[in-house]
Amino acid sequence: MISVKDIHKSYTKDSETLKGISFEIGEGKIFGLLGPNGAGKTTLMQIIATLMKPTSGTVEINGMSPDNDLLKIHKILGFLTTEIKLDPVSTPDHLFDFFAELYDIPQDEINSRKEKAFGRFGITQFANRRISELSTGMKQKISIAISLLHEPPVIIFDEPTNGLDILTSRQVTDYLKELRNEGRCIILSTHIFSVAEELCDEVAIIVDGKIVAQGTVDELTALSGEKNFEDAFFKIYVENHKEDQ
Amino acid sequence: MNGTNFRSWFRGAKTLASGFFKKHGQMGAQAPVSTFLICIGLVAVVFLALISWMWWWFPYHLFSDEVYNVVVVNAPDSFIDYNRYMQKSRDRKSRDYGSRTDLFTNFDNIVSFKYTYDGYGSSRFFYKENNALYDFVTFGKWMREQKAYLTVVFPEGFDEKISARTKDASSEKPEILTYYRTNSLEYTYMKKDFIDEYLKGYQDYIRAKHGWVYAGTVDSQIRDDPMDLSARSSGRNYVFDILGRSFIPLLMFIVILYSAMSAGTNVISGQKELGTFTGILMTPVPRSAIIAGNLAGVSLKTLIPVTIISAPVFLIPYYRTYSNIGAVIIHLIILTVFISSVTILISVINDSVVSAQTSFLPVFLIFVSVCVTCIQNSMGREDFYLYLPVYGQFYGIGDALSGNANAGGIISTSLATLMLAVIVVLISERLLHSERYTVSIDPVTAKEIRQARSGKYTVFQIADKITDNTVFFCKEIIYPLAVIGIFQLFAVIPVVIAYMRRAEYSQYIADLQNVTEVSQVLNKTFEVIAIFMGNPVFLALMTIAYMLIIAVCIIHTKRVFHKKTFSEALRTCGLPVEKREGIIKEYLSGLLAGFIMMSCVCLILKLSGQIEFKGFGLGKEYLPLFLINLVMWFPQGASEELLFRGYMIPRIGSRYKKAVAVFFSCIMFSVFHSLNMGFTPLASVNLFLIALLFALIYIKTGSIWMTSAIHTMWNLCQGNIYGLQVSGTESHAAVINTSYLSGAKDIITGGTFGPEGGLAVTAVTSVCLIIVIILLANSRDLTRNKDA
Repeated sequence: MISVKDIHKSYTKDSETLKGISFEIGEGKIFGLLGPNGAGKTTLMQIIATLMKPTSGTVEINGMSPDNDLLKIHKILGFLTTEIKLDPVSTPDHLFDFFAELYDIPQDEINSRKEKAFGRFGITQFANRRISELSTGMKQKISIAISLLHEPPVIIFDEPTNGLDILTSRQVTDYLKELRNEGRCIILSTHIFSVAEELCDEVAIIVDGKIVAQGTVDELTALSGEKNFEDAFFKIYVENHKEDQ
Repeated sequence: MNGTNFRSWFRGAKTLASGFFKKHGQMGAQAPVSTFLICIGLVAVVFLALISWMWWWFPYHLFSDEVYNVVVVNAPDSFIDYNRYMQKSRDRKSRDYGSRTDLFTNFDNIVSFKYTYDGYGSSRFFYKENNALYDFVTFGKWMREQKAYLTVVFPEGFDEKISARTKDASSEKPEILTYYRTNSLEYTYMKKDFIDEYLKGYQDYIRAKHGWVYAGTVDSQIRDDPMDLSARSSGRNYVFDILGRSFIPLLMFIVILYSAMSAGTNVISGQKELGTFTGILMTPVPRSAIIAGNLAGVSLKTLIPVTIISAPVFLIPYYRTYSNIGAVIIHLIILTVFISSVTILISVINDSVVSAQTSFLPVFLIFVSVCVTCIQNSMGREDFYLYLPVYGQFYGIGDALSGNANAGGIISTSLATLMLAVIVVLISERLLHSERYTVSIDPVTAKEIRQARSGKYTVFQIADKITDNTVFFCKEIIYPLAVIGIFQLFAVIPVVIAYMRRAEYSQYIADLQNVTEVSQVLNKTFEVIAIFMGNPVFLALMTIAYMLIIAVCIIHTKRVFHKKTFSEALRTCGLPVEKREGIIKEYLSGLLAGFIMMSCVCLILKLSGQIEFKGFGLGKEYLPLFLINLVMWFPQGASEELLFRGYMIPRIGSRYKKAVAVFFSCIMFSVFHSLNMGFTPLASVNLFLIALLFALIYIKTGSIWMTSAIHTMWNLCQGNIYGLQVSGTESHAAVINTSYLSGAKDIITGGTFGPEGGLAVTAVTSVCLIIVIILLANSRDLTRNKDA
């Protein structure tokens, strides 16, 4: 589904944010990106989500390149970023309609999709309230419902459970599992290890713009010789991070 | 693009556009109240200026050298008496008040002709009611010859007819006819003044002479008709015409500007601020549809208040003809689309509502100043303005409202404006593909980028700190001025000696003996310096002097500050020589920038009707002068930049705050130039602004290569390409012959000091300053991210 080949990205002449990243993800898989802040996770996700162009290297989604089939990729791609970004004066109902129009969903399907999505997350009763009146967890759920209203086969989530309470967090992880079981391909970045352990079929640890370790959670833990994944991550991080950078 | 694609393109654009009109729609932030207040304030200022301009006490005659005469045909004796009487009283008044007063309306001379109808001719006919003569061919010729704007025609035997009426009130009421030129609105007003003040006074005079009691009976009639019968429009209303040409279009412009700004800056930049824009970018809506949808939304939303404003205008019967309404509507729609496209572009470039509005403010000011220029020039405008964007709309609306809609003007200005709008839209669409204007980078990366790109301003790190006050004062402040002063003096001496042998010198001394004030001595001296500036030998010496200034400064830096190598000494003076390519690039772009800036100044002067270009060409005799000038400006610009920027700023900055260093060097630059001829307070402000601009560019680029180039090109363009004055010094050898028009206002052109003394330079420098400040702010906060 997603194939990333030797991605380099530099914002300035002197420094590179991403230094050659490659991986492939198939259908029905959740791929986790782990790394400290500033390692380049968000940049990488923005590049995969076609928002940015890599300085060199290629991204292919379903065999399509962003250079040629940008809008086709947008149709099969769902992207959700760290910050919760909804217009505060709008209502969930209006926003859903607005984006459904932009995603070119047939008119007769919009309402049934909305009922399904809002019912799934318990948004229905808040559908006509202003976003600014709603709680953080509710906003995140609305965000997810709207970002995925076109039912994309490829989903990119930047910190999906960041800042959520346990209940909402659980709802989101359950939903992600459900999506995986439907055969969707998901990339998520997180620094919550339990989420990574629970969800990810494969993880990649990024340090200073490079993938320093890749495999299943169990593989990486075994490889590092530590007891749990969190310790394994730290060991890998310390081994690969150079202080002078 | 096939059918389905277009359908989805259209659906996306439509959704984005209709977002503007939904109750909870408009995915954007709210405009801050301060913007609204600023705009209101601006409107108030413009409005007050306008009122003061329209008011009767505005001294029109100060700005005009033309002679306005009045032709009188068949003047009866009583009128000649009246005229003599008025002439005396006019002289008395002017003796008392020093100049002519407005009481006597605006005419300079009354020229009297006798004219009798002598046969048949197609151009002559009788006015059917009173047998008065219409012969505009003859009258028109007289008016042209006499530089007259008005002809007053008395019927033959006017006095007899008046006398007859004293005996028999039912006898024929004689009529006074007036013809006036219609090619300028000003003549209409002057005619009205003349009739109201002078002819009505004449009627009173006759009444008094015949002992009539004024009881509302008018015993002679005044008819006023324009010269050109085909353009005669009875009942043209003077108040409505003024409003239609000034206040109403201005109001429409301001409404469009304000509503387009508040709608346009809210959308894309507002969405970026909220973070909702990424969501829209991720939908399969093409970027072109995003722009088109937002443009449609902004335009339609802008048209609502415009309609509300225009509707009452069309309710006034005076303005209500279908062709006029149609023309005004076309102009308003086109203008709305254009201004909306500009706001969209600004919205794309910026990342928050406030920054978008801040960057729209100069655009707002430019548009308002275009309006004010239009109002001021409406009396003697040139036709090509009708075909220009924005100008065309303003004049077009004014013309349509006063009943002169011009189809050619509408079509051409509309096409030109739409083309501009399309270009702006295409640029916006392109920019939307660039990640710089679409993606917000995470705070950590942003910080790195910031550090990598801007670093710390290098210019303040190079100088050594001097702690001793006296040493500091002498070395850092007196020294640069002394160097410049001494070397310029050296250059002057040989030329002065040569000059002393010439006849003009004794004349100069003789003149000096008669002076009473210091300023006269200065003026005399400036005149002599102006002569020197036309002397190639003097210029060559100056060139050498400027080179010596640079050399001495660098040697001094190396010796006093104990630098090991010259390149190090050069670097501490703002002349890093390490990267050759960078220097050439900076120098060339500086030359280009200087050229563009000066060209803008010239363009402003030309468009506001201050100067005219008389032609190209450089006389053979001026070629050596031109060449030596060309050579001189290079070391001249460099030496001033070296001393005022490269030398002064880091050294003062190392001791005091950076802002103090910049401020002080600007003040010194301004004071240094105050010795030039024709210096005005505005000139000092301008020189301060220019110095500030140069200082900021120097800090931004870290060297004076670019500012030297701008300085050089600025002076070169000014003096030797466009032929204007350079800071009070006249240039003899210019490629383009330019001359100030008689109506030129010193406040804009800068008078004898050159453009630096005028508002044109203020405008251009201010715009450049804003750009540089934005660039500086951007390099400080490159990646538009609030969290950083």
